[in-house]
Amino acid sequence: MKTFPLILCAVAALNAQVRLPKYTREVLPNGVVVYLMPKPGVPLINFLVVAKGGIESEPRELAGIASVSAQLLRKGTATRTAEQFSNELDSMGGSFRVGDSEQDVTIASEFLKKDFEAGLDLTADAVLHPTFPEAEVKKMVAQQVDAVKSLKDNPQAVIGRYFDAYFYGAQHSYGHPADEASLARLTRENIAAYAKGVYVGKRLIVIVSGDIDPASAGLAVKKAFGEVPSGGAYEWAKDAPVTPGRRLLLIDKPDATQTYFRIAQPGISRTNPDRTTLLLVNTLFGGRFTSMLNDELRVNSGLTYGARCVLDLNREPGAISISSYTRTETTGKAMDLALDVLKRLNEKGITAEQLSSVKAYIKGTYPTQSLETADQLAKVLADIEVFGLNRGEVDDLFSRIDAVTLERANATARKWYGTEDLTFVVLGNAAKIRDSVKKYAPQFSEVSIKSPGFGQ
Amino acid sequence: MKVLLATVLLAATALQAQPADVKTQTLANGLKILIQEDHNIPNVAMYFFYRIGSRNEKPGTTGVSHFFEHMMFNGAKKYGPKQFDNEMEKAGGNNNAYTSEDDTVYTDWFPSSALELMFDMEADRMQNLAFDPKIIESERGVVYSERRTSVDNNNTGILYEQLRAAAFTAHPYHWPVVGWPSDIESWTMDDLRAHYKTGYAPNNCVMVVVGDVTVERVMELAKRYLEPIPAEPPPPPVRTKEPEQLGERRVTVKKAAQLPIQLIAFHVPEAKNADSAVLDVIDAVLTSGQSSRLYRRLVDHDQSALDVRAFSEHSLDPGLYTFSITPRAGIDPARTEKTLYEEIALLQSAPLSAEELRKAKNQLLTQHYRQLKTIAGRANLLGIYEVFYGDYSKLYTFEQDIERVTAEDVQRVARKYFSEKNRTVATLIPEAGK
Repeated sequence: MKTFPLILCAVAALNAQVRLPKYTREVLPNGVVVYLMPKPGVPLINFLVVAKGGIESEPRELAGIASVSAQLLRKGTATRTAEQFSNELDSMGGSFRVGDSEQDVTIASEFLKKDFEAGLDLTADAVLHPTFPEAEVKKMVAQQVDAVKSLKDNPQAVIGRYFDAYFYGAQHSYGHPADEASLARLTRENIAAYAKGVYVGKRLIVIVSGDIDPASAGLAVKKAFGEVPSGGAYEWAKDAPVTPGRRLLLIDKPDATQTYFRIAQPGISRTNPDRTTLLLVNTLFGGRFTSMLNDELRVNSGLTYGARCVLDLNREPGAISISSYTRTETTGKAMDLALDVLKRLNEKGITAEQLSSVKAYIKGTYPTQSLETADQLAKVLADIEVFGLNRGEVDDLFSRIDAVTLERANATARKWYGTEDLTFVVLGNAAKIRDSVKKYAPQFSEVSIKSPGFGQ
Repeated sequence: MKVLLATVLLAATALQAQPADVKTQTLANGLKILIQEDHNIPNVAMYFFYRIGSRNEKPGTTGVSHFFEHMMFNGAKKYGPKQFDNEMEKAGGNNNAYTSEDDTVYTDWFPSSALELMFDMEADRMQNLAFDPKIIESERGVVYSERRTSVDNNNTGILYEQLRAAAFTAHPYHWPVVGWPSDIESWTMDDLRAHYKTGYAPNNCVMVVVGDVTVERVMELAKRYLEPIPAEPPPPPVRTKEPEQLGERRVTVKKAAQLPIQLIAFHVPEAKNADSAVLDVIDAVLTSGQSSRLYRRLVDHDQSALDVRAFSEHSLDPGLYTFSITPRAGIDPARTEKTLYEEIALLQSAPLSAEELRKAKNQLLTQHYRQLKTIAGRANLLGIYEVFYGDYSKLYTFEQDIERVTAEDVQRVARKYFSEKNRTVATLIPEAGK
């Protein structure tokens, strides 16, 4: 009896709605959106600078320019050489990471609390005053071309590039992964011109989180970013939907002893009203260890180390893509099984028990994934701003999850997990698997991994 | 002195806790428990460190520790096949596990409401694991798929396996954690039972709980669920010591590839050795950040490498310090190798400046704090310090251990270990026409 009240408390705690900690949002006169979120605990501070645009804003023939220009920000500024920048950063033990996504470029830096001023100065200097020295540009571009080659030695990583090109197609903003040819077209001039349009007030979001005093941090950030030219507001891309119909791309890697595959169909955008329900359904289908896919392909049959389904959540509708791998000889068996599981979801849906399990799972894992550290929280705020959402994205999450009925979950599963409009991308030893994979789609293309590019 | 003092003070708060905040107790059956309360989020990280890994294996059953890591999720007495994961996910938790040369670690993350369930399930699999032949066969396929992904179809993975096999001739670090392919195909039920009996006894385990719990509640549950499990004789000690290396060893792997890869390793002492901290500083000096010596030289100045990394093993027995270089397209790996030796010679011949030493230490300290930001990070480090350094409280002297390192130490250690005789060089050469 003693433990009973304790358990009750605990269950109540699990179901309690989580909330974002306190933060402020302010738009500076030049358009820069500034968020401040104190999150004491460890004496570290984070700057997350987000520039709207990302991959969708790249000119098609200059694919990779968003990432390369971001990586070059630290390679020379109006007041620092690349070497000075690195020395200052490393001397403080700071971190400085850049990343790009379909809709933005992010610069994330982290410093000790005592280095707030110096860390802000360094971060802002990179974002606002890069000079893109010719020699650094040449070095970076040559390195990136070799990085594409190195990527092709890693089948698990490289299949994603082929997938983007094939699934979205060349006309789509997401369908032009950087390759050897597009990277080779990057020059100091086009990089500087591109960056000049990106790192401007109306496209920038600056999020400061961690062990900060919001008042003084706010003043310092306004001073650092308040003078940036406002530039033009960013016009989001508008793409036509992905072409339906079954098709298959086979990438030949003759030495592969394992086949890597993706089976995808058109999905949703980050703001689609079905997103909460789909998050639940997709987690059950392929988003956790006991998911239908992993259970069938790994646990029940031992065909693979892992099988999952990824639900893209970008500004434009993305893919819902099954991905797995298996030894060359069991390629057809594993792909057939994945299709069976997809069909089962579509036809039979999920049970009440599954739905209640996944609701608890999402609620139980969300705090460690999104709310524990200052950098996680900054990412949540960035998402809210970039996708035009509001704090209800976190504060109402649990009640939105609770509101999903079995009926709605199954209607959503039927709607989004079809068995017709499937895009297959398969990487492996073509001589051994060509015949067994051709049956999946009437439209078939093949490319060698040794050819430059990603099959575009 | 001022700078130093400031850093020390900061670090103390960074850890969010002093050794005193970690409560420790050993159950009657020998299971050691470390608990740290943290109520930042309503979640818990509960880690089980079993002191058994590939170093405890024998030829013929290599990889069995790692295979066992998989089997621990395949059903026990009270919770049958799939139930560990099903029940855990239903209660809002998830998990993972990893195996190294030295230990096998089970990592549970869950809302605090699931604490008792986790004790019940962990106790069940610690004591009453099921050995179903059908499941064993299926799991063999899963593990082989993992090997195919991380070794056979991964150029760095396959080269690293060859490097270790050449660097260690006698000690069990010779074989890969995942196991040789023929062993994966042939270990038997008896091998698994023997491994479980000694490896998974409570006296061979350290449990770490960090997060939204109270010490009293954890101890109450530990006494109820874990204390009744009987102790067993521990795994036999690993007797074999790696003999001193008497000359450079070279191996090559020829494989279809666009770029070569180079791994260059030196034998270094075990984690507990005082030189470990010096090797950490050397790591930072040579490869941490774009101002590090090897990045500047190989990637930036010479443009002969796509990347360069170093990895200093902190292991129970003497391990390896490994440099990893990806030469650029068209660059002869002999050139990057020569450059590396020039930089090592420089480290051996000229002392670090005070600024460079300070920079390296600051990098190590902030990297250390970053690992302590999450309950999962802290649970992992507390367990690692307990198992590999013999005392979790050494986590809280990391700072002093690093601060103690001098420029002379760096020179001495670089000379002692980075010698030609102590070196193993593994190169992956892209095969022509493939």
